[in-house]
Amino acid sequence: MSDTTGPYYVPVGHEEQVFRAAFRQGLPILLKGPTGCGKTRFVEAMAAALGRPLITVACHDDLTTADLVGRYLLQGGDTRWVDGPLTRAVREGAICYLDEIVEARQDTTVVLHPLSDHRRQLPIDRLGVTLDAAPGFCLVVSYNPGYQSVLKDLKDSTRQRMVAIALDFPPPDVEEKVVAHEAGTDPETAARLVQLGQAIRRLEAAGLREVASTRVLIAAGRLVGEGLDLRAAAQAAVAGPLTDDPSVTAGLARMIDAYLGGDAES
Amino acid sequence: MTVDQLGLLASAIAERTVEVAAAGPGEPSWTDGAVVFVDREAGPRDQVRAVAVQACLLAAGSLGPEVLGRIGRRERRYLGVEGHRALAAQEAVLPLGVRGVIDRATAARSGSPAASLALAVSREAIPEPPAVFGVIRSGRVRTAVTAAEGGGDGEGSGRHVPRRESEQVLRELEDGDEGGGEGGFDLFNPVGGGGAAGWLLRRLLGSERGRGGGGQPGADAPTHRSATSRRVARRAALSAATGGLPDDPEAGPGRGAVYPEWNVHAQRYRAAWCTVGEVEPDGEGGEPLVPPDTHGLRRPLARLGLELERRRRQPDGDDIDIDAVVEAQVELAAGSAPDEAVYVDTVRGRRDLSVLVLLDVSGSAGEPSPTGRRVHEHQRAAAAALTLALHDLGDRVALYGFRSLGRQAVQVLPVKRFGDRLDARALSRLAGLEPAAYTRLGAAIRHGASVLEAEGGTARRLLLVLSDGFAYDHGYGGAYGEADARRALAEARRRGTACLCLSIAAGTDVRALRRVFGTAAHAALPHAGTLPATVGPLFRSALQRAEAHRRVSQHRQRAQERLRIEESRT
Repeated sequence: MSDTTGPYYVPVGHEEQVFRAAFRQGLPILLKGPTGCGKTRFVEAMAAALGRPLITVACHDDLTTADLVGRYLLQGGDTRWVDGPLTRAVREGAICYLDEIVEARQDTTVVLHPLSDHRRQLPIDRLGVTLDAAPGFCLVVSYNPGYQSVLKDLKDSTRQRMVAIALDFPPPDVEEKVVAHEAGTDPETAARLVQLGQAIRRLEAAGLREVASTRVLIAAGRLVGEGLDLRAAAQAAVAGPLTDDPSVTAGLARMIDAYLGGDAES
Repeated sequence: MTVDQLGLLASAIAERTVEVAAAGPGEPSWTDGAVVFVDREAGPRDQVRAVAVQACLLAAGSLGPEVLGRIGRRERRYLGVEGHRALAAQEAVLPLGVRGVIDRATAARSGSPAASLALAVSREAIPEPPAVFGVIRSGRVRTAVTAAEGGGDGEGSGRHVPRRESEQVLRELEDGDEGGGEGGFDLFNPVGGGGAAGWLLRRLLGSERGRGGGGQPGADAPTHRSATSRRVARRAALSAATGGLPDDPEAGPGRGAVYPEWNVHAQRYRAAWCTVGEVEPDGEGGEPLVPPDTHGLRRPLARLGLELERRRRQPDGDDIDIDAVVEAQVELAAGSAPDEAVYVDTVRGRRDLSVLVLLDVSGSAGEPSPTGRRVHEHQRAAAAALTLALHDLGDRVALYGFRSLGRQAVQVLPVKRFGDRLDARALSRLAGLEPAAYTRLGAAIRHGASVLEAEGGTARRLLLVLSDGFAYDHGYGGAYGEADARRALAEARRRGTACLCLSIAAGTDVRALRRVFGTAAHAALPHAGTLPATVGPLFRSALQRAEAHRRVSQHRQRAQERLRIEESRT
């Protein structure tokens, strides 16, 4: 579906249709899914396919409203207004992607409310103006409802304004294609990496905070492309980032040996 | 390399937590449903295969009680078919090196455990299972195998009894060939046995519990009794509550601090309603608790007190505070002297944290957790680990147990007061705590918060409640108790005391605690081993929230003062 020159994304469900429909209707979109499952890539691919510029903001807990909307700067004793990324997207009609929105403070995200309902307006009180969003403006936020949700959650009033698209790790056949394409490995290597990833994802209570994401599998594949041994690559890119616990590390090493180890005689 | 490292592999294939343990040299591999035993001398590849086969049998439901109950002496024939079927069914998740074991022709002959059993019983020729298939020891497979999938503790203790009985019979009938002393089966364990906990739990908690044995030495009898009788007692208490309890059985008001209680039905406080007495815990509680390893906990907690904080309007700093500069320029333009503090600085805070840990030692903590040990043991381990870690880091820390017998007899048991030393005596006081009586959460929280505020002596305070979430006392149940506890927390938060609740290994209703504490200040952990990964962010968010509350109330106070000053002027 996506443009041949655009970022590589393989749709799994009907997420592309939902995105397009929400985009045409001017509805904000909430992307949910575990770390490294392709949320950001999906937005990039959709922005390219829809021909809109993409403005990405990585949210953090120090992000203020001024960081999003804009602020006055000093210039030789005079002040000059500089638009923030959100204001720029509103003016230009771009897709504004707020990555990991729960990381931002809740008082910051409130600025999104008038933008994310029927008004589609951004009030800028420091300028004393209210901007109407240009056609083509679309607000996309992402959030990882896994481990963090205990600590932080989206305000209900924020999330109720969104159209939610739940993404998850792709099924094995798709993930193999993705790993092979992104890492440039042969399908056989990709398949074995994906099988390892799938096995790690089946470990629920093993003390892993996160599981092996598509992203780490691609990283392992890329290391293989650099000439690294498959097992060493998986150890470095998959097992290492997952845990510091020595015995879990040892267990993962055994799994890597079993799934990626020297080809069996059979 | 030791075989227990294969636990993760086995868990991945079986899709549940499975442990791998060493069997003697030359011994065939087998599983009791929670643990796979493999020959410790075998080559790595054979070990992997043996583990994979046993894990597949678990994943494919090959060891269900309905099959094993009828298998009789045909274990080898059954394994010859079912082993291949199970491997084929799980083929997608098997390492390539294991797939070569599958005999596809044999696997195709059966579509289910029952069909494999039918073949085994029939006279048809069945190939001998390869050596890596090991053996099935039907008499030693725990019934937990299937029940574990249902997810732990559960309400239906009635449901479990018949299975226990049938297994008992089964075992007596068929376990003739085993001479081993450690039975793989524990009558008194709840469903799940040691299995659901998995190797990780045992390792992290350093469990001394023998695989086949019961609870810890000395704790056996009460554990076992409580597994059934307490449950019944709790039910009885619940039903009595709906019928209306007589007034508090303890008549005379005890000595101690008096607290109000929030009556949600009337929407007002009951003044001086609860009496909280500090009761010295029985110090002779046996040997002190072995100090847990707090290494993993220290790192997340260490960063708490010393967080980097960005402060605006500093006289020095690494960034310009635009707002302050603009204001300064405006003031300059207006002709007044501007404030020169126009930088944003990153400041390391100093340690100023005091923590009071409230440990629920009411009867409900004596319930067995889904992992076999009592909830109390998990909570106590967590309390010890957190207290020690915070103490090591130089935070002020206190640890109190709490329970109640009616509103006049809410007991708070100081294990370690703020001024006490955290020594072997304190640890033995902690070890001596035994769950009993009920939970009047609100009164305990009020007392804990007031002790913390009076004796903590720092600006930042955290009240940490370790509870299984079953709040019940005379005239203190359901919505009433929840509302009162929520109220008590709100009071503490308004005074700037952070509140956090952890329930560890509790099978009870976590939703109630969620309602009381809110999702942000409550976490249910499967076992104490996950503490290091979670306490950091949890503590931080609780403290930040309290900080915000404190600022708001300070602000309000200042505004009121200003108002008063202005009023006095006019």
